[in-house]
Amino acid sequence: MKSMRQTTLETLGLGSVLEIFQNGRLPANESELVDKVFGPAGNRGALLISGGNGIVGSGKAMQLGSRLVKYGVPIVTLDLPDAPDGIGKQYGGLKRSFGAKGSTDIMSNIIRFNYDGGSLPDGLSKYNPRFVLEAIPEILPLKRSHYDLMRQTFPEVEIRSVTSGFPNKELGVGILHPSFPHEINKIWEVVEDEPSDITKLLSAMGLIPVMVGDYWSFILDVLFCGITLAATRYHGATNMPFWKLDKYVRRLVGPNPLRAHDAIGPGASFLTWSCLHHLTEMYGDVFAPSPELMRRKESGENWYSSNRPVVDWEMDDDDEFQSWIMGPIFQMTSLLLHEKRAHLTHMNAIGELCAQFTHGVNAQVRRLGADAVIGRVEAYHKLHPQAAGGAWYPEVFENMGTPDWQQLYVNAEHDGKVGVITISRESLNWDVVDELNSAISWLKAEGISKIILTGDFHLSTQLVGADTTEFYDGLKDEAAGYKVAKGWSEMARRFNDEFDVSVGFINGKRCLGGMMELMMHCHYLVATDGAQLGMPEVTLPVIPGMEGCHWALRKAGSANYNKALQLLLTGKPVKAANGAGWLLDYAGSVEDALSTAWKIASGGDHGIALRKLEEGAFSIPTEVAGIPATDASKAIMDCIQASCGVPLSQALEIQAKHSAGFMVSKLCNKGVIGSAAKKMLDI
Amino acid sequence: MKDVVALYPKAFIPYGTWGSSWFPAWHTSVLQEVDIARFAAEAMPYVLAKSKVKMQQLDYLISGSTVPWLYKFWNSPYLSHSFGVRLPGFHIEQACATGLQAIIKANAQVQSGSHSTVGVLTFDKTSNSPAGVFPNQGTYRRTEVLSDIWDNFGYDPSTGQSGFSMAKGETTMFACAGRTARKYKLDFNEVAEMCFYRYQQYFEAKDAGVLDKFLYPMTILDVRGQKMGVVDDDYGVRRYTSLDQFTSERQLDTCVAPGGQTHASDGIATLLVTTEEKARELSPRPEISIQLVSSAEFRAQSGFMPESVGFAVKQMLDRTGLTMNDMAAVYDHNPFAVNDIVFSKVMNYDWRKMNDTGCPMIYGHPQGPTLTRVTLEALERTVAIGGGYAMIFGCAAGDVGIAGIFKVTDSKGGN
Repeated sequence: MKSMRQTTLETLGLGSVLEIFQNGRLPANESELVDKVFGPAGNRGALLISGGNGIVGSGKAMQLGSRLVKYGVPIVTLDLPDAPDGIGKQYGGLKRSFGAKGSTDIMSNIIRFNYDGGSLPDGLSKYNPRFVLEAIPEILPLKRSHYDLMRQTFPEVEIRSVTSGFPNKELGVGILHPSFPHEINKIWEVVEDEPSDITKLLSAMGLIPVMVGDYWSFILDVLFCGITLAATRYHGATNMPFWKLDKYVRRLVGPNPLRAHDAIGPGASFLTWSCLHHLTEMYGDVFAPSPELMRRKESGENWYSSNRPVVDWEMDDDDEFQSWIMGPIFQMTSLLLHEKRAHLTHMNAIGELCAQFTHGVNAQVRRLGADAVIGRVEAYHKLHPQAAGGAWYPEVFENMGTPDWQQLYVNAEHDGKVGVITISRESLNWDVVDELNSAISWLKAEGISKIILTGDFHLSTQLVGADTTEFYDGLKDEAAGYKVAKGWSEMARRFNDEFDVSVGFINGKRCLGGMMELMMHCHYLVATDGAQLGMPEVTLPVIPGMEGCHWALRKAGSANYNKALQLLLTGKPVKAANGAGWLLDYAGSVEDALSTAWKIASGGDHGIALRKLEEGAFSIPTEVAGIPATDASKAIMDCIQASCGVPLSQALEIQAKHSAGFMVSKLCNKGVIGSAAKKMLDI
Repeated sequence: MKDVVALYPKAFIPYGTWGSSWFPAWHTSVLQEVDIARFAAEAMPYVLAKSKVKMQQLDYLISGSTVPWLYKFWNSPYLSHSFGVRLPGFHIEQACATGLQAIIKANAQVQSGSHSTVGVLTFDKTSNSPAGVFPNQGTYRRTEVLSDIWDNFGYDPSTGQSGFSMAKGETTMFACAGRTARKYKLDFNEVAEMCFYRYQQYFEAKDAGVLDKFLYPMTILDVRGQKMGVVDDDYGVRRYTSLDQFTSERQLDTCVAPGGQTHASDGIATLLVTTEEKARELSPRPEISIQLVSSAEFRAQSGFMPESVGFAVKQMLDRTGLTMNDMAAVYDHNPFAVNDIVFSKVMNYDWRKMNDTGCPMIYGHPQGPTLTRVTLEALERTVAIGGGYAMIFGCAAGDVGIAGIFKVTDSKGGN
């Protein structure tokens, strides 16, 4: 077995992706792990969440409670009697996600206890807590005494802390550090000597545990507190008001950290201060909290004024702004890399999935190159000399040519016969496209001609489509839109053109838009039957750029044109189980889908006929009954007619031109993507 | 340059750490739509950022305005909170004397040692001024309703108490000017000549970009955060091109014609006062030293406001031993052309030597910040010609005159 770089699943002790296909089953069995963590059915212990009324505690009670209710695992929350009710107010969101009955079932499984902080209530024992998730305030002695209390009462209990700052070596317990918003964010930074059954259970339940090193504060906190600190320092240096600089930070990096603090609530600034305070003690003044943070640590006041701003501000010196913001982030990244806090893909993903970075920090570093990154940090040190005193390791950027750096989003594995290409990002962007090209080339260089293209069973729990931020340039510049459509399509075609057998495998909740177009370029397409497959471009609107307007039809066959056109012109997804035979080749249970994909790729007896790809020009109905014609659907129909009306060899060019031409239209600029671009860029 | 000891030896104005909005005439710009306190609180850091001053470097704020605004009760602490730094401070108000008075008080604050870097933030919005409703048992009406700008322009209660008739228009501001013009037997032709000269001074400076050094355009946002407009000019200023245009204007009172009186406007102006060491640190030109060497106030007889300034200036000159010939620059707040001619007569000083780059008679009169902008212009002019003494004075409602002299030295040269 060989891979471009370490598979992220291996960091959880869950093997490789190739092994998942070889074995025909997922590496972590949810039911078995529930038995291991909470005891067998009929003798289940409870999940006890201390601080269950807090932002983290109540959010995780919902997230875990909704997944464990079917196993009869009681969720017991514990908090001080005067803690404001954090559980009850979750019901509305729960109801929206699970309906009235589902949400009532989840809430009915939550048992709420109060205590005085020093002794546990008598009634707690009958629930037999097996796993304590501690989410009490960030005060080290308080946490330690809480663990003592738990261990004295329940000697066998497993304890994990959600702390955002203290390392395992200080706490004496393992860490499961989650990310905001806690009800839905799947990422958990895990500090354990070896991945435990609890961690594997999180993975089996569709959550995303990532192993990180045992240091003060976690990757998310370093990045997010770091960007917050950088923003406040820029404010201090330039007087630019928070609301405005937040917009500039969002345009440059992705998040608007100060609004995020206000959204989280009054305690957020304290947590940021606490994180930075401890980091300063450990690493020096690059982390030193700014006066603005010190003030809000005490007052808890908002960053944004309740009054609307009156005077607009412009950016006088964009280069200096970038040094103020990216300088400290790159310096902090050098520290994270120096300490080898996590797999580079994990570190990168945490920035994107938890801190809302448009591009993960490692991807940004890679894009700029070592010299530019080091130059940016040095420029920052000139602006803020206090930061130059430590925690700066420029040498970590020297090995950016290695696969660990070059394959942040895409990995490839093979066993000498069959290869697997895995995507670790839920939306497609240029980084992913470039890395897919590299993975294809690597496998071909390794002599592999049969491959499976899939998500990574870890960081990408679904494939949602194109990262539409990559279209922003194309909204104004047709050539830029054309470059995206053409470049991405050429990459996708390689799955059709350069392998003897390629199998697209769709796991998880959904595969949409650009990711669906990518997958359909494989010779075979296999999905788990519950997955939603769709082409929602018409709703944005945008014209599919990666050959979706003809490839699906070329594979569907004339008897199924109507279904394919419905998919393209309405934007309504179909369940994989309903797409077999025209949109995909097989849909089944996870195990069946895995083994089918493997049989196809490895040459086993799978019994599935290859759907022919029509390579010539062909006719498509110009109207579909029951679909009202809108400007967007007409534009897509025009593209369908044009790209189907030419041979496959010409269709890519036709589709790319239609896609790019539509992107600069008023309709697209006024639509979802244009509005989002305007919000982010026109500040 | 004669050496005169500074009035507050520990206090310095760091050159260049100042600025102002343009002063659009009332109801001519989007400023009429804004909460002026919020605008001022956001404009001050905007202006100071242009000279790289960080708001965290301030430790005290003296604000000044004259027209009531929303939440005025909270005054200076509210303003500093609004720009993100919770400073102690106070609010000051004395009609058109406010700007210079605030600067003097800031000097005193630094001299006392209680605070080291004091911000002066003066502002006013005369557009859409509020009206107050006052219970008044002293009148048969029992309740008085006062439109803050219009009614106060029309009635000075002090002159009213002195027997002048409101019904005959004797309590208005321009009646003061006309009355003083008659007292000093002014010639309207000279007034017109001076008006034309003042307009030429202003437009020459403006066209040469002199004003752009310290007047900053600002984009104003509406409640949705969308651009509502840009304040980038002293809107409402007529560009007179000949003397005849002045001489042919109808006189509203003796020697008071439209081209020879100011107009209400909106705006802000700000500067800093600090210690010598910090002035060097903050200023983009640390070689320049600016200190207040004298100040004075004088109150004229009822209804003779324009003559008050000459007497205030006399007091200063008597105290310091300086003469008008020692002044490198002389700038005043002149709501009426009459002011400058009367000053010229009282002080035997050529009005042509004053207001080289403009004056409020031309660019308008938002009350609170008026003398602050006048001070900035005077100091900029004095620096531009190599240093020396800058004299600033102006009259204010209540027949008050206020004046100050600043000493400007340039260690790299100058006078």
